[in-house]
Amino acid sequence: MLTSNRVKLIIRTVVLSLLFIGILNTCICAVVRPTSNFYVNDYANILSSNTKNYIISMNKTLYSKTGAQIVVVTVPNLENNSLEEYATELFRNFGIGDKNKNNGVLLLLALEERQFRIEVGYGLEGVLTDGKTGRIQDEYIIPYLKQNQWDEGIKNGFNAVLEVVKQEYNIEIENEKAYSGNSGSNPKTVGQLSENNNVMRIVFVSIFVGLIMGLLVRINRLNIIIVVLISIAYLAIITIVGIWLGAKNIVNNFAMHLMSFLIGFSSVFRRFHFGGGSYGGRSSGGGGFSGGGGSSGGGGSSRSF
Amino acid sequence: MKKSTIVLIIILVLVVIVVGVAISSYNGMVSKQENIESSLSNLDVMLQRRADLIPNLVSTVKGYTSQETEIIEKITKARENLVGAKGIDEKAKANQELTNSLNALMVVVENYPDLKSSANFIQLSDELAGTENRIAVARRDYNNAVKSFNTTIKTFPNSILAGMFGFNQATYFEADEGSTEVPSVDFE
Repeated sequence: MLTSNRVKLIIRTVVLSLLFIGILNTCICAVVRPTSNFYVNDYANILSSNTKNYIISMNKTLYSKTGAQIVVVTVPNLENNSLEEYATELFRNFGIGDKNKNNGVLLLLALEERQFRIEVGYGLEGVLTDGKTGRIQDEYIIPYLKQNQWDEGIKNGFNAVLEVVKQEYNIEIENEKAYSGNSGSNPKTVGQLSENNNVMRIVFVSIFVGLIMGLLVRINRLNIIIVVLISIAYLAIITIVGIWLGAKNIVNNFAMHLMSFLIGFSSVFRRFHFGGGSYGGRSSGGGGFSGGGGSSGGGGSSRSF
Repeated sequence: MKKSTIVLIIILVLVVIVVGVAISSYNGMVSKQENIESSLSNLDVMLQRRADLIPNLVSTVKGYTSQETEIIEKITKARENLVGAKGIDEKAKANQELTNSLNALMVVVENYPDLKSSANFIQLSDELAGTENRIAVARRDYNNAVKSFNTTIKTFPNSILAGMFGFNQATYFEADEGSTEVPSVDFE
């Protein structure tokens, strides 16, 4: 049985790990994170659901045919960043477009600053030159935004960009009306382990240790070999502790800790987010969409409205 | 097991660990150095791209004005300096010089509404602003690579290896603070 002291310690560890995860989420990226819709991230709350559904359904087909992605993001403000810096950072964080083709486009609207930017990934810079994106904004977007007609401006601009991309890849996209929203996006649960309650609790310790190790690797403080050695030593010790606390199956116990450790470890790295994450990777299971890992070198143009 | 065997095994394990750490740290430094190289060549491409846009801009401006020879000369000279610049410091300086003279041009352009509203000029300004932004991004990437490399070779135990293998600190691509603003084009 656990003594009350030990329970306190465990609770403290759990709270600390949660805090840690919280700090990571807020600190590492200064820009907004992708929603599970990915293609439309209306943080300024100005778009109608019609527009959103249209953009999502067009993107689904576009992505399946070409790997290209045209992402719309609206933010209430830029938090004192320049529009260009914010856009590039966001573009890279989202990983818009295919990783190898780099064929993503970002339409970013900053409401308070009244600024708009079209940022283009390397792969589409040839067809969507800076001059072209400037003209698209002047013709299709800015006139509407000046009169606060957000839906019209965004949709028109999106269509203009889409048209260019479609021509580049020589494809046609029919308007799919039957887009059924994003229901049933249950967060993935990490295994259904219901063995020993006491043992289950110290699993959190493994997540925490994994987290710290991952963090140290990520910020380049520790060599990967040293990390592996420490990790092996830690796993050995924690398994023994598990037996002492009354784990019945040693192999299960070890596997559990290894898993938790890896979860903690990998949660620090963007590419390997577990559960409900919508980062990187090609799969779009669980109802969400995600970026293909594309990058941008800062191409595109900006306007005020 | 004899005591000496145990000691031997421990020493052996330690040696393996030390060698392993050394190899991986060496490889880490090499890959970071490669990273600097590739971001520098990317930066060079963007600087070249900027220089390539200037002749077009100059001829467009000349088409609408006849008086502004002084500023055009300044831009042409700054462009030549940028193209001929060797070394990171020199490039950063030449790039800054070009930025300053372009900023001056953008102020002058205000006096020529026809030029300012011509489709050709708008397109060129967009290309130029886009390239400036690409340079800013490439410079940030390059400086980040330099920072990561410099930090690595300064921290223990890498510092010992860095000294042994002759890894030297890389130079930042720096422009004077406060004068790095991209000339923005306002079409209100």
